[in-house]
This record gives sequence, C-alpha cells and structure tokens, in this order.
Amino acid sequence: MKESLLEILRCPLDKSELELEDAEYADDGEEVVSGTLVCTECGEEYPIEDGIPNLLPPDMREETPA
Amino acid sequence: MGVLEHKARARLFYKYLSRVYDRVNPFIWTEEMRTDALGLLDLEPEMTVLDVGCGTGFATDGLLEHVDEVYALDQSEHQLEQAYAKFGKRAPPVTFHRGDAERLPFATDTFDVVWSSGSIEYWPNPILALREFRRVLKPGGQVLVVGPNYPDSFLARKLADSIMLFYDEYEADRMFKRAGFEEVKHAFLGPAYDPDVAITTIGRAPE
Repeated sequence: MKESLLEILRCPLDKSELELEDAEYADDGEEVVSGTLVCTECGEEYPIEDGIPNLLPPDMREETPA
Repeated sequence: MGVLEHKARARLFYKYLSRVYDRVNPFIWTEEMRTDALGLLDLEPEMTVLDVGCGTGFATDGLLEHVDEVYALDQSEHQLEQAYAKFGKRAPPVTFHRGDAERLPFATDTFDVVWSSGSIEYWPNPILALREFRRVLKPGGQVLVVGPNYPDSFLARKLADSIMLFYDEYEADRMFKRAGFEEVKHAFLGPAYDPDVAITTIGRAPE
C-alpha cells in the first residue's frame, strides 16, 4: 500500500486515525510492503501483509489453517 | 438465519468456492448484467469508487471501464488471490484491502460511489453495512448494490432461506431507507432465461 492511503484508512472499530509503525518499504521507496497500522484511539493493531492492509476487525481476523 | 450469514462459514465456503467461482459466476451474474448495472450510475473517470466484497474482481473490472481507479475490499484472502492475479497486487488501478462490509475501515465522506455486487447475501446485518456505505459516501454520493432476488417458487424459497439472505423489492426499499439513503430505486437484472434473478438497488447519500 501507498503511505498516502493513510489519509482515508480508519480503524474499523471506532473510525479513528491509524498510525503506521515498523514500516518496510519496497525498493521504489513508495510502497509499504509490511508494517502495522495502530489505532490512535483504541490501540488495536492491523497488519500489512505483503502490501495489503488487513483491516478485518480482530474477531474476524483469525483464519483456520488451510 | 441462513448458514452463510455466519461469516466464518462464509469464509470457509469461499475458500473452496473461489477455485471455481469465475467459471460458475457468469451463469448468475453475467457481463451483460454488469453492463446494465453500470448503466444505472453516473460515473466520471476521476471519481473515487469503493467495491465492497470485490471477490475475484469481476465487477472491479467493469468499473475500470468507467473510472481510473478502484478501491476494493473483501474479507476472503482466497477470493482476493484471484483478483490479485487479474490486476496485480500493488500497482494501481486497484487498491486492495481486507475488511468487513459492516465495519468499513475508511474515513467518513470519502467516496463518490460505493458498489457491491454478490455480497449482501452474506452480511449478517445488511442495514449495518448499508449505514456504513452511507457514512463513507460523500454527501450526494451514489450507492449500488446487486443481490439475489427472492425466488418465486416455493421450493426455491425454502432452499434460498436455508442458505443465505434473499430479499425482494419491498425489503430492499425498507433496508435502504432505514440506512438513510434517498432516491432509492430498484431494477431487476438477469440473463434471458431468468430475467429477474438479481435485484439491483441504487440510491444517494443525503446532501
């Protein structure tokens, strides 16, 4: 994801702004490939997985192993 | 409460269904129906569009014939894998997210258009999702939802009710108005052999 996406991304639970932490960038320096989005209000953490922000609420996030 | 309204089960269902989905899909949700649905919206190339429950990206593809860029969201990584294969995972014109239709991870007043096709039947509480659509839409923004029309025959209804949410025009009207939409209208879409298999509802967020 592009860092500029943070302008419209919000915590799905309380709709507060998210902060990007532990970001790793692709070679072009533009694309965030991994990191954590942290809610500035409730502190809930959302992972960025191979460039895709996973903003599923925590109760939907766990996957059964394939 | 139908079986697939339980989201974990919907995820499991899609994990297996996604493998054949685009082969099965054209029989119930065809390119022609997609074109008809797209014709119900006023689209400009620079509009900000969200595709909720984008799945394998069938509607996303149609939207990109009218707009430059689409924001796409789905809960199922298995469905999204198919969409990544079509559009690429990172580059525009599609920005992907995993998320829940009923708890959208976007700021209020962000989108000109919110589109969702073939997804409403899996939402446990459609009105919650529709309220979220209205929240993330800019004032006056357009919503379009395609879902399965409630079948006429008794046996098909029994089957329908046990699997997922089906609704008719009156129910759609009630849901969209309760979610706060205005100018709510409905259209029936389908292939020639089953012309009203899908119901499409459009509306606008209040100015």
